[in-house]
Amino acid sequence: MSRIVLDAVSKQFPGGATAVSSLDLEVSDGELLVLVGPSGCGKTTALRMVAGLEEVSSGTIYIDDRPVNDMEPRHRDIAMVFQGYALYPHLSVYDNMAFSLKYRRAVPKAEVKKRVSEAARILELEPLLDRKPRQLSGGQRQRVAMGRAIVRQPRAFLMDEPLSNLDAKLRVQMRAEIAQLQRSLGTTTIYVTHDQTEAMTLGSRVAVLNHGVLQQVAAPQEMYRNPANLFVAGFIGSPPMNLIDARLERGSSGPGGSGDPGGSGDPGGPDGPQVVFGHHRLGVPAQVTAERPGLARYLGRNIVLGVRPEHLSDAALMRDADAASVIELPVRLREELGSDVQIHCGIGAMVHHGEAALQDVTSLATLVARMDPQTALAEGQQARVHVETTRLHFFDPETGASIRG
Amino acid sequence: MTAAPAPSAHSAHSAPSAPGSVPSAPGSPGSPGPAVSRWQSARFRRRVFAIVIFAAMVVIAIVMLYPFWYMGDNSFRNQGQFDQQSGHSLAGWTQLFQTLPVVQELVSSTIVCAAAIAIILLVATTAGFAFAKLRYRGSGLVFLLIIAAMMVPLQSIIIPEYVNLARFNLMSSYTGAILVYAALGAPFATFLMATYYRGISDELIEAAVMDGLSYERTFLRIALPLSLPAIATVTVLQFIQIWDDLLVGYLFLPTNDRTITVGLAVLSSGRTTGIPPLMAGSLVSAIPAIIVYLIFQRYLIRGLTLGMGK
Repeated sequence: MSRIVLDAVSKQFPGGATAVSSLDLEVSDGELLVLVGPSGCGKTTALRMVAGLEEVSSGTIYIDDRPVNDMEPRHRDIAMVFQGYALYPHLSVYDNMAFSLKYRRAVPKAEVKKRVSEAARILELEPLLDRKPRQLSGGQRQRVAMGRAIVRQPRAFLMDEPLSNLDAKLRVQMRAEIAQLQRSLGTTTIYVTHDQTEAMTLGSRVAVLNHGVLQQVAAPQEMYRNPANLFVAGFIGSPPMNLIDARLERGSSGPGGSGDPGGSGDPGGPDGPQVVFGHHRLGVPAQVTAERPGLARYLGRNIVLGVRPEHLSDAALMRDADAASVIELPVRLREELGSDVQIHCGIGAMVHHGEAALQDVTSLATLVARMDPQTALAEGQQARVHVETTRLHFFDPETGASIRG
Repeated sequence: MTAAPAPSAHSAHSAPSAPGSVPSAPGSPGSPGPAVSRWQSARFRRRVFAIVIFAAMVVIAIVMLYPFWYMGDNSFRNQGQFDQQSGHSLAGWTQLFQTLPVVQELVSSTIVCAAAIAIILLVATTAGFAFAKLRYRGSGLVFLLIIAAMMVPLQSIIIPEYVNLARFNLMSSYTGAILVYAALGAPFATFLMATYYRGISDELIEAAVMDGLSYERTFLRIALPLSLPAIATVTVLQFIQIWDDLLVGYLFLPTNDRTITVGLAVLSSGRTTGIPPLMAGSLVSAIPAIIVYLIFQRYLIRGLTLGMGK
């Protein structure tokens, strides 16, 4: 077990492309940190630098407070699980798992056998020890790759999208197994994935990268509730957060009114600010303005409004829907998901199309709502959509940063 | 006189209707006619295609095997029997062993082949691994030069080679011939091995490095065992090339240590030697190459098709 620190670590490739830019990250002893981001964001490069498979252009990587930039991978005492498992095809499962112990250091044969047997028992690989990798299923190969890492009892595990080659069902099962295994072993782990669901379910903390720049590091729920910027807001969550180009205005005399830019509406007051997009208008509750005092600076200015799909519901199913929180939208598409229903509504406003939004629906300009399956809303109908206004998110359209303090 | 209407292809295949039954119209619901016809047609085409392919392979096999039959048949004749193409005897074989030191020449060929192939494999496996898996400055340029070396015909460099070996006092020795064969075979072998190693996942090499191996041990423990098909391919191709080569052996080997191919050339240039001993010698010369091919053929096919898909 160990602590890994990345101090202003950067990686420039010979062609000039920057894969990782001044990355500061600390992984505590026994922690499972998930590095997540879209393809090409630099997460795998960051992991490979920790492994020693890529040179660090600038900055320092510490393992247990010891700089390891110039240390050979084999001397770092770190085990890596690769995306393609990287099992040695000419060796049996047993020999694959015992490989590092045989060649790394002089571990007695009895000890090698004991460790491999123990790992095989944990991973339910005992009946497969004599087989070659080509005789195994994808899930079994993945378990052998894990076993190979476990037997070494390394200071840390590095996992590079280890589940991406598995089918959806097996992925869910293996995800749970990896989480349990990591907790029981208590080994410091850095896990790389592009799958935000994997990141949210596995990580004790999640670090989001984009274009080699760290966007946010937080516990999964904290990241979901309070995304630091537009990129994180659009990346974390499925379906992603609805991001709409909007304007924050001073409130009018009543909800749903025509607006009163010159009015007296103080944030939090009865005539508090309203967020306007297209011909829709939503009152911003006092609680929100109190939590986000920075919003006052944006009165009369453009903002990006963020609404999670699950914070939109069918007003017809609610007894006391606040009229200030209801907007009328045409239903364009209804998608049945079993446990809930996704309703795509036209909003008559621009959907924010920064690269962070990750939704290529600008032309359609739709709002996605995840609703109770009892909703009777159907394509072509006019929906009365209730917006949970206490859960709204606000972002600066220039910097993309969340508007808070 | 009116001509009877020609039956259509469809009606030719359909069974005659029972008297009194209403025949279903072709293409009408429930009529299996067109579907069955198409199925039959597809099966027929497949069968014809298979027969054509089989016939073509038989012809190619005959063309390939005929020389061996011709050599075997005529080696068991004397010159008179050969001229009249009737009768068999051991005269050809007897004359071969009386005229040529066959065993000595086979030993020479084996020594030259084995040593040259050993050097070629040593160079090609290590260099191929380095080109495929190690990143260093100028790697692409050096690899390009090696590919360029493959294009140079032996005849164009034989005189400089002769001069070089003469300067190093390596003329008329096994060493000189072995080095020339190794130099001629190494570029292609390196190219083939590099191509093969590129097909081995980088992750596998990196996994070995993470498991605690140096690059040298990774090469020995992981890359080399995995490259057996390519090694077999190089071995077979180089064996055939070196075993059958005349020019290098003729120029650089002493008369006492000449290879079987050189021996046969000497035999064929003699005025008194007949065709039957030459056929016997050719058969003796061909057999080792056939044995090597049969031993390695399983790997050879995998090696030759490398890079042709996932």
